[in-house]
Amino acid sequence: MPVTVALIPRFRLIAALGGPSSGAGGAHPLLGRPAALAPEPGAAQLIGEVSAPAEKLGLRSGMRLGEALSRCPELALVPPDPERAERSWEEALRRLEGIGAEIESTRPGEAFFEAGGLTGLWGGIEGVLKAARHELGASTCFGAGPSRFCAYAAAKTSGGLVSEGAAREFLDPLPVSLLCGRLGDKEEADDLPNELERLGISTLGRLAGLPRDAVADRFGRLGLRARRLARGEDEPLRPRPMREAIAVELELPEAVTGLQLERALELLISRLLTHPERRGRALRALCLSARLAAGGGWRCRVALRRASANGLRLADALLPHLGRLPAPAATLRLEAMSLGPETGEQLSLASPDEERRQRISEAVRQTRSAAGPDSVLRVLEVDPDSHVPERREVLMPFPEERPV
Amino acid sequence: MRPSRLNKPWPVPVQVGPDGAPSAVGRLAVESVREEWLVEDGWWTQRPLRRRYFELVLEDGSDVVVFREPDTGRWYRQRD
Repeated sequence: MPVTVALIPRFRLIAALGGPSSGAGGAHPLLGRPAALAPEPGAAQLIGEVSAPAEKLGLRSGMRLGEALSRCPELALVPPDPERAERSWEEALRRLEGIGAEIESTRPGEAFFEAGGLTGLWGGIEGVLKAARHELGASTCFGAGPSRFCAYAAAKTSGGLVSEGAAREFLDPLPVSLLCGRLGDKEEADDLPNELERLGISTLGRLAGLPRDAVADRFGRLGLRARRLARGEDEPLRPRPMREAIAVELELPEAVTGLQLERALELLISRLLTHPERRGRALRALCLSARLAAGGGWRCRVALRRASANGLRLADALLPHLGRLPAPAATLRLEAMSLGPETGEQLSLASPDEERRQRISEAVRQTRSAAGPDSVLRVLEVDPDSHVPERREVLMPFPEERPV
Repeated sequence: MRPSRLNKPWPVPVQVGPDGAPSAVGRLAVESVREEWLVEDGWWTQRPLRRRYFELVLEDGSDVVVFREPDTGRWYRQRD
């Protein structure tokens, strides 16, 4: 079953510049000169995706901002817009799912799917690629191969299809720099290809030929993963579950912060709960995003500990995240990322206070049975204003309620 | 279990200077006396309570509270 990848290079950079059609001649003028995504507010000072001229100057995604500016002082920094990038990519993925593909995508601009099951539908692998290109646009690079990394390497280099038995032969002459960004999100994952190059291991073939034990000794788990990828081995794809788009958006009349923004979020929560497509289901994970008045966007994913359709509980979970908004918002959007069971919430007959007391009593019973009767005590104030310190408080056994 | 009191005082060896104030608590010398006060309570009962408290800074920088019972002459340390 060949793995197929669809790559749209610099997707996040293009999205931050307003999308592919924002420039007069199609591409944004900044893409023609050294440019990079600026670090996100509050995150590590690392640049994001870089334009082609910046790449030629040796800049790459994940490089420290100071190093990037010293290599290229004229580098233009573009404020990131994760909200626009995620939303545009989500639309693209839905179009791709429309041709029947089950997609794995961990970052905007990159989607993997098994093409094997679609060849009958579209008349072979070429037909599948043609249908996918039709949905994603002509600027998309495609590659197919027996593993995820092999397909990625094919898309990044020559394009086309690598057959089942030819993976090693195809990968061997390729540079180890292709492993950048393929080994995980940690900083040392991006450093590994550079370290390999410094040691003279410049091609994937040389890495694949090293003894497993030697690689494990020198580079640990990351090295072993890199070696497996270089040998054309990889884990199977994990396609994302199909999900509905239930989202509500509010355009704010003027850039607002603070209390007004909280009211706007409460309104969005009410709208989401009355959304007809929710059909009585509880919400399990939400995505709160905003377009900022000064340009750019912000996005935050919130997973609830328990699926809920209670407005107050949702507000409790979401409101603290508004404090992380880096600038006043022009629009606020709330999206249901994952839905719970249709039965909704199982309400308790007891009041919240009563329920809390019962849970504490149960915890006290369990602790005493495990650690002895004196293990749970409470401090009782007897004479808090006394001049004699030992008269102020006493230690009492914690009262335990008997189950009814 | 019977209720037990918190912050009970415990005996501590204290060396006293010529002015009657503590000069060392255990092995640590007293750097300074921050405060001194007298507590008298229950004088109308059979078991009156009388303590002279000192809040001290020791040479290791710790802040401790000790008191002396004038009737027995014993020193105790206590959390305040």
